[in-house]
Amino acid sequence: MGITELLWRFPSAQMAWRNLGRNRIRTALASLGIVIGVISIASLGITGVAIQQQATSDLGSLTNEVTITSGEDSSTAGVTADQVDEVRNVAGNVDVVPQYSDATTISSRNGQEENVSVIGLTQANVLYDVSAGESPERLQSGVLLTDSTANQLGIEIGDPIKYNGQMYRVRGLIESDQGFGGGGRGQLVVPESALSDRDNYDSVTIVTEDGDAATEIAAILRDHFNEETHNGEVDEELSITDYSDVQENINSFMNTLRLALLGIGSISLVVASVAILNVMLMSTIERRGEIGVLRAVGIRRGEVLRMILTEAAFLGAIGGLAGVLISLVIGLALFRVLAGDAMVVFEWESARYLVYGFLFAIGASVVSGLYPAWKAANDRPVEALRG
Amino acid sequence: MSVIALTDVVKRYQTGHETVEALKDVDFRAERGEMVTIIGPSGSGKSTLLNMIGLLDTPTEGQIRLDGRDVTDFTEDELTEERRSEIGFVFQDFHLLPMLTATENVELPTMWDTSVDRHDRAVDLLHRVGLGDRLDHRPDQLSGGQRQRVAIARALINEPDILLADEPTGNLDQDTGRTILEELTRLKEDENIAIVSVTHDEQMIGYADRVVRLIDGEIQ
Repeated sequence: MGITELLWRFPSAQMAWRNLGRNRIRTALASLGIVIGVISIASLGITGVAIQQQATSDLGSLTNEVTITSGEDSSTAGVTADQVDEVRNVAGNVDVVPQYSDATTISSRNGQEENVSVIGLTQANVLYDVSAGESPERLQSGVLLTDSTANQLGIEIGDPIKYNGQMYRVRGLIESDQGFGGGGRGQLVVPESALSDRDNYDSVTIVTEDGDAATEIAAILRDHFNEETHNGEVDEELSITDYSDVQENINSFMNTLRLALLGIGSISLVVASVAILNVMLMSTIERRGEIGVLRAVGIRRGEVLRMILTEAAFLGAIGGLAGVLISLVIGLALFRVLAGDAMVVFEWESARYLVYGFLFAIGASVVSGLYPAWKAANDRPVEALRG
Repeated sequence: MSVIALTDVVKRYQTGHETVEALKDVDFRAERGEMVTIIGPSGSGKSTLLNMIGLLDTPTEGQIRLDGRDVTDFTEDELTEERRSEIGFVFQDFHLLPMLTATENVELPTMWDTSVDRHDRAVDLLHRVGLGDRLDHRPDQLSGGQRQRVAIARALINEPDILLADEPTGNLDQDTGRTILEELTRLKEDENIAIVSVTHDEQMIGYADRVVRLIDGEIQ
């Protein structure tokens, strides 16, 4: 009886709770509608988040990068080491990978030749995932080669490749489907030392958490390096490219998808509200005489109204709570399968749909209760007493 | 001063195209410590008169004064406040709420008044009507006579000036009816209230201080 003890201090809640207890089956059935509605909203919302996270992590390598090259108003060709340091300072705690570019032709033992782009850098592991071998944190010796090129030429890990008159051993094979770059051409990744005769870097790649962070950092860098001159033109010292357009398109598609899923979910909640409206209306009509007695003994209209609205809110809360619990289980399973980590469901991004579902359930129930409550409260006591 | 006074009260209903005059120039008053019983055949306007006295219905013409105050033109909300503080009701079918215990049913009219705790008075009233050992029973665990006693205790919870009883013995056997009437007589004196009842019960007339006969909406 703990809950009734507490409710005793809130008369409307107390009466509402007792009234719901009078016909448990009806209460359960009315709540069931809400349960289904909440499950639809919450689990479809969470599904949207799961799909978006999955998609972002698949496409993330395209959009989480910012590419910096020499600007058109720059006095130097390429990006200087000083500029790289400045970029590091401004960009903060992200990976900043300066690199040289070149092109070369590599040949196999049987004389077959292949044109490849050459990238000279140190932090190989930031930009390249390997399908075989390793992608070292600091590339000091040896090279990485795109695996499709390696296959064509019959080159394996440990084989030598000649570049710029020097021999390098292949340490890792790069997965071929990475990023926008390459354009079908294979890539040969060499240590910076192989191109140390260059004065400046050709480009700098910044790798961030996600597309939004990339967009933000690109904007900060543009502000910093490319000052507006007094005549309104921009003095472009560095050319800074991010893929915010792509990111925006992905985001807007995902939002559309999420809205569509939520729309479907909302329909079931509307159906649930109609069920509650029906149940509340029936139960107030059945209790007409009883409500007449309440009014006769001096219970105010507002108090009757509150009592019945509280009943509706309780129906919503009971159904909402059950719905949230079931949705949580569905969400855990979903993230376990899609993201490999069930606990992601507790992050606000997806957990908020549980909160929304619950609030919608209570909101929809109260709205459904309005008409029955208003009708009961405004019934004339003399007529209500006749039953 | 009369606790309730109706002067030249007329009540007309529109039923279809016909106008029915349920009460015709009725004058009625009741004093504290008095039990008035209204008798009359069905359709004589007894219930309409009781509804007027109980401020559940408003007259078409005439005036109603409660404790000397003119309440004739009060709004529904103002009438609710008067019922809440001045009037107690006892119905023929008891009209207890099935999900509440005897004590909770007695407390019901003051339940939303969180400023005053009427729990002790509710228990006291139940003791006084002989239900001290039935405090936590629900209506379906009580006999008809016991239910009517709970209803009487409920009618007194707000320390009213008037207690209105619509056929209070109508659903009870003769012996139980008599004990209820004795209860009412005792409470009338203890609480110094006016009791106005409507009845068909001959036995009830014997307990009345005054009998008002109503025929065709007119007091004889």
